[in-house]
Amino acid sequence: MTFAIFLLFALMAVFSAVMVITRTNAMHSVLYLAFTVLSVAGVFFTLQAEYLGAVQILVYGGGIVVLYIFVIIIVNLDEVVAERRKLVPKIFIFAWPSLLALQVGTVVFLNRPAARPGPEGGLEFRALAEMLFTSYALPFEIAAVLLLAVLIGAVFVARRRLSRGPD
Amino acid sequence: MVPIDAVFALGIALFVLGLFGVLFRKNLVVMLMSLELVLNGLNVILAGLGFHLRSPRGSIFAIFVILMAVAEAAVGFALILSYFRQKKTYDIDKLNELKG
Repeated sequence: MTFAIFLLFALMAVFSAVMVITRTNAMHSVLYLAFTVLSVAGVFFTLQAEYLGAVQILVYGGGIVVLYIFVIIIVNLDEVVAERRKLVPKIFIFAWPSLLALQVGTVVFLNRPAARPGPEGGLEFRALAEMLFTSYALPFEIAAVLLLAVLIGAVFVARRRLSRGPD
Repeated sequence: MVPIDAVFALGIALFVLGLFGVLFRKNLVVMLMSLELVLNGLNVILAGLGFHLRSPRGSIFAIFVILMAVAEAAVGFALILSYFRQKKTYDIDKLNELKG
């Protein structure tokens, strides 16, 4: 039963991912991206990673997708960029991801990790939080500093420059 | 019970679709969206491995990946806005001032 729900969400995610990269209108792409993000959140729920699914919906669906929509509204979207290329780059574009998928898939499926026996009930928030704030406390703090730096840096880079210098 | 092979297949499929989008599209905003697809595929594999190995590390790593994706999106959009103010276009083929 869980597997059926997983398959449903997986098919929805892959379908809308294909639509994201094939639509010429960027606004359609961003709506399909929202669909993909929510489907991946459903996949997380079927994998019993409930916290991750909630973070995915809140941060991706609520934050990043809205950011994309605002940027698409700010910059002009009517212009469609032509997707013309010569033959050799076209072959490269199709061949490289396919070869990478074949290689990674072969390595992963031949060296499949053995499942660790454990309770079927899923992971507890308590174990996750304890590990996050003890073993991974330093990366957590570094991530906080990274976010602060991103906040300042994004405002600095995107600010409107004055045409004349400060008086 | 979800087999780990299906999780790997979904993750690799999303990753490759995103990579293909980054290579194929010439619109800067859609290229950033494809990068989000790449990171989502990675997150699926991390969550699946955490489920498979009964460890919270999968979720923790995926949370850090999401944090990094947020940072990347914010800085990328700042760069796109700054670039768009100067050039009034999206096309990455026009982004060749450093070409020798």
